[in-house]
Amino acid sequence: MKVLEVEGLTFSFQRGEEPILSDVSFSIKKGEIVGVLGQSGSGKSTLLRLISGLEIPWGGSISVAGKPVVNQRLFVQPEKRGIGMVFQDYALFPHMNVRDNILFGLNKMSRAERKNRLNEMLELVQMTDFAKRFPHELSGGQQQRIALARALAPKPEVLLMDEPFSNLDADLKASIRSELRSILKAAGMTCMMVTHDRKDVDAICDRSFSLSEDSAARKVHMQSL
Amino acid sequence: MKANLVRRYLQKELNGWWIISMVGAGIILLPILFVFFELFQAPNENWFQVRDYLLQTYLFNTVTLLLLTGLFTAILGVTLAWLTTAYQFPLRNFFRWGLMLPLAIPPYIAAYTYRTMFSYTGVVQTTLRYEFGVQVDPEVISVSSLRGAVFIFTLFLFPYVYLITKAFLENQSSSYIETARLLGRKPFDVFLKIVLPLSRPAVVGGVALVVFEVLSDYGVTSYFGIHTITTAIFQTWFGMYDVDTAMRLAAWLMVILVGMVVVERLLRQRQRYHLSSKSKPLTPMKLRGVKAVAALSYCALVFGLGFAIPLLQLLSWAGLTFEKVWDLSFFILLKQTISVAAVSSALIIILAVVVANISRSKNVFSYFLSKIITAGYSIPGAIIAIGVLAVFIELDGKLAPVYASLGWGEAPLILSMSLFMLIVGYTIRFMATGFNAIEVGFEKVGTKYLEAARMLGNGRTMAFFKVDLPLIKGALLSGFILTFVEITKELPLVLLLRPFNFETLATKAFQYAKDEMIHEAAIPSLMIIAISSLSVVLFYFIEKRVKQ
Repeated sequence: MKVLEVEGLTFSFQRGEEPILSDVSFSIKKGEIVGVLGQSGSGKSTLLRLISGLEIPWGGSISVAGKPVVNQRLFVQPEKRGIGMVFQDYALFPHMNVRDNILFGLNKMSRAERKNRLNEMLELVQMTDFAKRFPHELSGGQQQRIALARALAPKPEVLLMDEPFSNLDADLKASIRSELRSILKAAGMTCMMVTHDRKDVDAICDRSFSLSEDSAARKVHMQSL
Repeated sequence: MKANLVRRYLQKELNGWWIISMVGAGIILLPILFVFFELFQAPNENWFQVRDYLLQTYLFNTVTLLLLTGLFTAILGVTLAWLTTAYQFPLRNFFRWGLMLPLAIPPYIAAYTYRTMFSYTGVVQTTLRYEFGVQVDPEVISVSSLRGAVFIFTLFLFPYVYLITKAFLENQSSSYIETARLLGRKPFDVFLKIVLPLSRPAVVGGVALVVFEVLSDYGVTSYFGIHTITTAIFQTWFGMYDVDTAMRLAAWLMVILVGMVVVERLLRQRQRYHLSSKSKPLTPMKLRGVKAVAALSYCALVFGLGFAIPLLQLLSWAGLTFEKVWDLSFFILLKQTISVAAVSSALIIILAVVVANISRSKNVFSYFLSKIITAGYSIPGAIIAIGVLAVFIELDGKLAPVYASLGWGEAPLILSMSLFMLIVGYTIRFMATGFNAIEVGFEKVGTKYLEAARMLGNGRTMAFFKVDLPLIKGALLSGFILTFVEITKELPLVLLLRPFNFETLATKAFQYAKDEMIHEAAIPSLMIIAISSLSVVLFYFIEKRVKQ
């Protein structure tokens, strides 16, 4: 079953400007972890923002779990798309502690459900002892785990990750990569991550494709691992 | 195809925030347009009289005031900013923020304080007469003149230039100045060749604020009997009861203003410097001996004239009239002033938050929206007042059938006799003050938390209340205080738009002064100064926190 389907996606920041993404098409099946490779400026962050609904494409369509979320006639607000996202700098709310950050996306659940889900998530990322801490009291790796837990808590259809390792020290990366893969697989999550580092993709992803830089119009080249 | 795209765009952007913003922009734009369209109406007889016999004098006085005040505030502001950032001398840290304090004294209060001090019975002449036996020519010493007005405006408005230039010099200029020093230039050369040209945009920005204040002034010029376009608007309105001519004057004043803004933009266009945003602050050099004394005396002189002396004089007058003025009616006055300023400020902040929030997604619409919303700041209070009045009278006319059906009589003036009119006037005039504070707050927070909140299933409004609002609390508070202070100090707008018999601290102080009850004016004036000092204190604490 295809959880995410992107077809003919085209985007440029200004009318008449050379498009940063042109006619991009791909799909992701349930439970897959897919990597998108590209240099900075290749439009990979923009691709995530289009899928999540933070930007509006010039052309093409996107469907999540079989339902169209954007096409030529329709635009669904980001909060209604069932998409989770881990931002490059995590964007943990600085005025809330770990617990409140994770609970933030769970406002539609009952009190008991929320509490269960919170504990489940804290256990998943092994941060149970840190529930009362504030984001600035955590290390980079810990912040990333909380951001991941926060994004997974509402059970999104797809998880998007923007350069998940760019803010981490080099010696941490290796251990956190394998950890991330096991967390995602344990949660059975469908995930799409963008990165400039092939090692990230090799360590975590089931398959990958790249946004090529050679042509001005960046078509997607599919490539299976 | 096109229609579909538009509809899709509206699905993304159209929401309550947009609608409130559009309504707010409409309310702000309407009175301004009303004044502007007066230009296309046929003028009446009064207008020709005003144009042929008076306009030349009005224009001459207005332009002279603007040019001289602009020049002198620039000199005072830049030299003081340079002195307090580049050099270390005794009391420098005190003067760094103490030199902002003259802003806390509204020029009209300074005007009557200085005029009385320099009058025949005032402290200056009596001291000269009795202590030194000197008789002075009253013509020479009189403050009630164009010269005196320039003196007052310069002393009490220069902090605008000082503040902006100082912020620029402290944070942006160190690498250029240090390079110049290392290349072997003397300090005075560095000032002339590097500091002055580099800080030109900052100085122009500060002088522009001064010019707007002077153009908007009614208190000083009318008290000193100088005829400017702004005082003429008052005269044609209250003296001749000719709102049409007053509006026509206002419209021409606005044309001049728009012209000035355009010229300033054109002048600046080719002079945009690229400045490194993260340069380290300038390290001050220590002054010794005569130089240190000279720097200290210069700062002390300006501080004394611009704050300490008028304050002491007012305090001594307040002592004389304390028992007479400090009674129940004074507390009613205080309550009225504070409540109308608080309500207006709250309204401004709410609207500012809504507009600033949608202006975070940068596009053509939000750009124009933010420009419209803040338009009132560069428009003198008298113009806004007359536009608001015209719109409200028109509204009352349109609503007359409604009033009649409610049994309130034939064509009464309900809205245009209410406090609501004044609040709308304040909102238009001081929207920019609140908006700028809040925009800075939003810029600091960025959009990432908002986006994260939306990805976690919250709509725009929910995300705002749960994430953005707690993060911009500080900006909200400082925006509120700044607008509150501006409103408390404001004079021309409240004189024109207040309901019959409604007094604020500002109108009361001005009324006392006009009736030559100078001593009685001291207590309401001191109250205004105390409230205004809040904004200086705020600056001080913000700066301190930023340093930490």
